[in-house]
Amino acid sequence: MKYWNPYLETLPRETICNMELSHFRNILSHAKTHSLLYQQKLKGIEPNDIATLDDIKKLPMTDKEELRKYQEIAPFPYGGTLGTPIENVTTFRQTSGTTGKPVYVPESYESWQWRIEVWCHILYMAGFRPHHRVFLPFGYNVYVAFWEGHYASEKLGCEVIPGGALDTKGRIHKIIEIKANALLNTPTYGLHIAEEAKKMGIDPASFNIERMLCAGEPMPTATRKRLEELYHCHVFDHIGGTEPCAWAGMCEAKEGLHIIEPFFLVEILDRETLQKEVKEGDIGVAVVTPLGRRSFPLIRFNTKDLVVKGKSSCSCGRTSQKIVEVVGRIDDLRKIRGVLFSPKTVEEVIRQQFQEVEEFEIVVERKGLMDVILLRAEVDPQLPLEFIEQTKVRLGESLKIATNLSFIVIMEPPGSLPRYTLKAKRFKDLREETK
Amino acid sequence: MEAIRKEIEKIEQSAERIKMLGQDNPSLRRNAEILLNFVYILKFITLDLKSLS
Repeated sequence: MKYWNPYLETLPRETICNMELSHFRNILSHAKTHSLLYQQKLKGIEPNDIATLDDIKKLPMTDKEELRKYQEIAPFPYGGTLGTPIENVTTFRQTSGTTGKPVYVPESYESWQWRIEVWCHILYMAGFRPHHRVFLPFGYNVYVAFWEGHYASEKLGCEVIPGGALDTKGRIHKIIEIKANALLNTPTYGLHIAEEAKKMGIDPASFNIERMLCAGEPMPTATRKRLEELYHCHVFDHIGGTEPCAWAGMCEAKEGLHIIEPFFLVEILDRETLQKEVKEGDIGVAVVTPLGRRSFPLIRFNTKDLVVKGKSSCSCGRTSQKIVEVVGRIDDLRKIRGVLFSPKTVEEVIRQQFQEVEEFEIVVERKGLMDVILLRAEVDPQLPLEFIEQTKVRLGESLKIATNLSFIVIMEPPGSLPRYTLKAKRFKDLREETK
Repeated sequence: MEAIRKEIEKIEQSAERIKMLGQDNPSLRRNAEILLNFVYILKFITLDLKSLS
């Protein structure tokens, strides 16, 4: 079977939109009845006021700061964001806290299963099937994506092996020992496993991994292709977050990501005004409403993810709206010397053109009145000195072309830069620390 | 899809009844509640658009 849910995944657009409108009214009604946040925020607005999808754009958005504020009140720790009596909560998750105090996310058994159903769409689209033995090389802790991947793999009928409490070498041995043929990991950690395996004299392609689904970080196409070369397998991306759930995934065509409709209403809005929907091919901010998750209702959650809007048709036959790519997060965009800069561009250049660079870090600092960008790049010092020098020059030139900014490139020996299993932090803006 | 929706209704009614009959038995009650959680998902993915009008 090609689709996880052939009925939903091939519906005509008009029917999908009607379903989303109906689900939106239901979740709005639920939020207004059960969540203090929305009782106060949407006072005077009734589900029947929403006659069309365009009417939804008149409602205010929800942001992370608001969730934090409402979580300061009782009941601890979810406060006014709860959409169900606290005794119904069966699962605690939280955000990573990258942008401040973590947001605590309550899931009832029903809402957790709703999330798992969404993830089944993502895994099935990426070709995960019951014959897969899925290895998750992490201790999942309180972070949501790998728990969802774990339970959704199980629901699909895969065999699931949790890989926490092992170091990278231990995980490599475990992958080989149990003959895992599918992986769920961050792109960074996928690269790190391959790098470590090579140091152990093992070709990562010899693992015989068939499918890899990446989570946790934006993944440039060049990184995805690099992982495919290293492992000789199919690598897929998806996008989501702890608060809104995973809301789009990649199919076998690997031409962008399908929004998981009608589970989510996703608006892609002009990033300046946050009002108008952008045109196909344009970059916008994703504003997401999970349409059936009741224990933590979110109405028009501003994800701050920048995405390129795509088509609503695909060679795979699915009729859901697509996004072409995830550009990054608004929080990661910086003005440097008047130029808008996204760290993802640097990763794209390095993974596409500089395979000799194993790890890198971008540091921006202010020297006098001038912003300076350093790129620290790890290469093998056993490479010929002349080659390393040429790489340094070519890196600077390629980055200048791609970003319109000049970089000071510093070549570092292997092991100088930190390695990450979850969210990689390769971008440091020291200007903010000295403000 | 209509036939499927009818079957989901039947599961819902049966689960509600088990929950009521087994109210003094935590295992029966909780398993019936869990069935109802899946009924919610089944209803979500088979939404009847007649309810929109």
